[in-house]
Amino acid sequence: MAFNFNWSPLIADTSRARDMLTSALNKSPKPPIIVDDIIVTELNLGSTPPELEILEIGDLAEDRFRGIFKLAYSGDAFLTLKTRVQANPLNTHLSTKPSFASPQPLAAGSGLTIPLQITLSDFRMSGFVILVFSKQKGITLVFRNDPLESLKVSSTFDSIPFVRDYLQKVIEEQLRVLFMEDLPAIVHRLSLRLFSSEYSDMETEEVDGQRNDDSTIPVDPLASPPQDPTDAFGFPLDDDQFSLDPSAELHASFSQKNLLRLAALTDSHRTLSLFTPSIRDTVFRAWAGPSDRADQFGQHPSFAAASLSRMNSALGIHSDVSTVSGSGESDASSSRPTLSSFSSYYGSNGGRNRARPKKRRVVDLRRPKDESKVPDAAPLPDAVQPPARVPATIQEREVDLPSPTTTPTTYPRLTGQQPSQTTSSAISSINLTSSTAESPSSSKSSAESAPPPYHLHESLPTRVGKEKPNDLTRHNLNSIPMFRNYSFEKPGSPLSAHGRTSSFTNLYCHHHPQQYWASGHAGTSYFESTGSILEQAWMRKMATEIASRVAGEKAAREKLGGVVKGIVSSPGAAPPLADAPPAYGS
Amino acid sequence: MLGFMDYIQHAFHLASQWNSDNSYSSLTASARDILDFDIPRGLRFSVSSLSSPNFANSYTFGTSGVVDGSLSYLYSSLPLQVASRSKHIDLTELIRGYRHVLELRRPDNPWWWETWHRGKRVDRLATLLYGRLYVPASRLEALYLRRISPTRQVHLSCVSDERLQNGGTILALLQDDRAKSSTEYLFSTDSALLGVRGLYNFGPDPRSSTFPPNLLSRFSVGGELYYGLLNASGGCSTGLRFTTLPAHAGFPYTMTLTLNPLMGNLSSTYSVKAGRNLSMCSRFDFNFYSYESDFVVGWEVWRRRARPMESASDRLAEDVLSKPVPTLRDKEDDVEGVLKARIDQNWRIGLLWEGRIKELLVTLGASIDLRNRDQIARSVGLEIQYSS
Repeated sequence: MAFNFNWSPLIADTSRARDMLTSALNKSPKPPIIVDDIIVTELNLGSTPPELEILEIGDLAEDRFRGIFKLAYSGDAFLTLKTRVQANPLNTHLSTKPSFASPQPLAAGSGLTIPLQITLSDFRMSGFVILVFSKQKGITLVFRNDPLESLKVSSTFDSIPFVRDYLQKVIEEQLRVLFMEDLPAIVHRLSLRLFSSEYSDMETEEVDGQRNDDSTIPVDPLASPPQDPTDAFGFPLDDDQFSLDPSAELHASFSQKNLLRLAALTDSHRTLSLFTPSIRDTVFRAWAGPSDRADQFGQHPSFAAASLSRMNSALGIHSDVSTVSGSGESDASSSRPTLSSFSSYYGSNGGRNRARPKKRRVVDLRRPKDESKVPDAAPLPDAVQPPARVPATIQEREVDLPSPTTTPTTYPRLTGQQPSQTTSSAISSINLTSSTAESPSSSKSSAESAPPPYHLHESLPTRVGKEKPNDLTRHNLNSIPMFRNYSFEKPGSPLSAHGRTSSFTNLYCHHHPQQYWASGHAGTSYFESTGSILEQAWMRKMATEIASRVAGEKAAREKLGGVVKGIVSSPGAAPPLADAPPAYGS
Repeated sequence: MLGFMDYIQHAFHLASQWNSDNSYSSLTASARDILDFDIPRGLRFSVSSLSSPNFANSYTFGTSGVVDGSLSYLYSSLPLQVASRSKHIDLTELIRGYRHVLELRRPDNPWWWETWHRGKRVDRLATLLYGRLYVPASRLEALYLRRISPTRQVHLSCVSDERLQNGGTILALLQDDRAKSSTEYLFSTDSALLGVRGLYNFGPDPRSSTFPPNLLSRFSVGGELYYGLLNASGGCSTGLRFTTLPAHAGFPYTMTLTLNPLMGNLSSTYSVKAGRNLSMCSRFDFNFYSYESDFVVGWEVWRRRARPMESASDRLAEDVLSKPVPTLRDKEDDVEGVLKARIDQNWRIGLLWEGRIKELLVTLGASIDLRNRDQIARSVGLEIQYSS
């Protein structure tokens, strides 16, 4: 396999790139020292091409490509800018300050504008580039980190060191913005003009009205994913395009028309309308059973919007954690810097994702596993595994996410009992819980006999204390999200009261709207006795997993003996965790 | 037109016998008032009152795209006996035009200010406190003025705004006015700016006993020097002014010349009060480093209420008998309004009308750009003040 990058045609004509650079440079607010437009007079890409090292190729076909490169450049490109600057430092200083407390000099602040020519050369760049190309979407090029290492700024003021240093600083700042924000947008629009006929039609229409509509296009490629052709019509974008997940490419084949029809279809599904728009080469399929429905449930934006956002933010926390822990490790993770932090990024702004038509990331991670567990719902003790003390993977923690349904009853009971009985009792308590969902009064006594619910937290410092010192931070971090999931059982939070009645429906009716997804589960288990097999199996599985973890912690605590007990019982060990606020405050 | 609070501050200066014109920073005050008048933007309405001689408050409400406002309070330890109703305020006090430079006043002896009661000094130093809060921008402005001696004044102004660097800035000024000369020392927390300003008036010293009463003109020179400690940058300028005094027989005029040697900026102004109702001013800027130049001309026309009919003989008698020795308060309380206009070499025109309509003080302004054909009127604004 070989790639052939042809550098020379890029050198030939730079006039268009020059214009775009000019408009990009003048778009962002300029520092007060620059009093005129910045005009790019010369742009030469040089004869030395950048060095590209392929780190990863996620997708490769004739019409699409996605990959991660390591870019290193030390060529002879240069760029000449022309502008006018304010040479009086007092003038620029005063222009940004409120007049009320300004010294108001009589004439010392009078301006002196000087034409300035700046040449930027000796670019030294290195960074990770994510390149996504597809015929429909054009080229999306994103710098993973700040690629600019150094450059040389030579200007009219090289003889004055103060001005030279200032210019160097200001220009480097502006260039970093350019590389991180403006350049991806420029490349994308250029490529769209080349490849996408749909876009070029659109653009030619726009050209009649207005040539430069730069301001309407968002320039931050990370805050808003790079535009695809549907963007101008206000359709939401899929954020999966950086994930290197090949199945995400499905969306790329959706054309404008089909998207409109799909939107009409989902609209009609939301209502009682029987209207079905005709979509070519499409098989319409109804939901087969509760599992399908549940699957759909998670994906449907209107039902699950709130829960998705919550899940996303949780995901964001997790993957943040994993990034941090990854940095604690050595090269293995640093050579692949992208994926985890991407998910963290998109996860962290769940509000934005709300309108996305599809949430593959959240739902697909867990469901297949869940369904595979459905047949063997009975042999639960088999599922008890040795306590997995490896750094908890994302998946493991995700499994915990919907599980707060089980925690209020299981944990208090578990911690109060002998380790040998832990698992079975946990299962029985789970069974109990699911049955109490139907008859809350019967379980009241057992729930009330439970010890105070924050026993769970005591196990966390134990585990931390057991670990090797260098693992300590990682596990601390790992334990925090899990802890957050459970933290609402703190006494004093409104849910502790519900823990006593141990009624699921109560729990989630009173809980935050973010728990919608989980409440959907609880609701089905409560109201539909038919569909509850799946749910019970699900909960059993959760129970075993939680039980196994708690058992492991218990065992570890037993091993450590009195020392650890001292730590556990000492008031200083638990409070930092116990005082942590609930992750999702109401 | 001055805002109500600025008017009250001016009244405080008058009451505490502080000559704010005798300072290098007001060397070009006449030209600034005729040429660089502020043109209001949008609609602005303010209600103010001097509720007691020591306390004033003002509320401003405005809209220029977004709705904003401010509320301000002022406390003065000196009781201020000025007209505060917008119907009665003398417009010549409120509207700044050609600035008559008054004769220098001999500073008080310090012991004149002392008040003794049963062997104890009971006098207090005159103090002014002023605060203004802008909403919704959450900017707070505060001013502290104190006359610490007959020749000195401390001026402390602060702005608190989270958008500023370090969350705010403080400017401290120590002003020393000894009539013959005046100096100001300033320090600003913004980049630790230090500054000195000084002004020297040639001619006889008003503190000496041989000070002649009716001088015709005055010649002053001054300079300023700034240095920012943190950003290691500075600035300086020097200037001179020749102005006629009220005793001058012809029309009053003022000439100034300022020079910024570092930036090569030379600026000269000539303002003249051509008649009772007309003042003109021109300013020419030239930079001998970049050869850039700028030229602005401005006028102000005062419109007065028609006087009751006078007999021809009265007028004749007035013309013949009374020599034109204009005193400042010479029948100027019947002003209806002032029209100000300026135009510069780029055909940018500024127009402003300030006046009184019934009980309201109205400022109406527009700036016009004749070069830019598709958007000639750049901004239009209306400001209405009411005070009681």
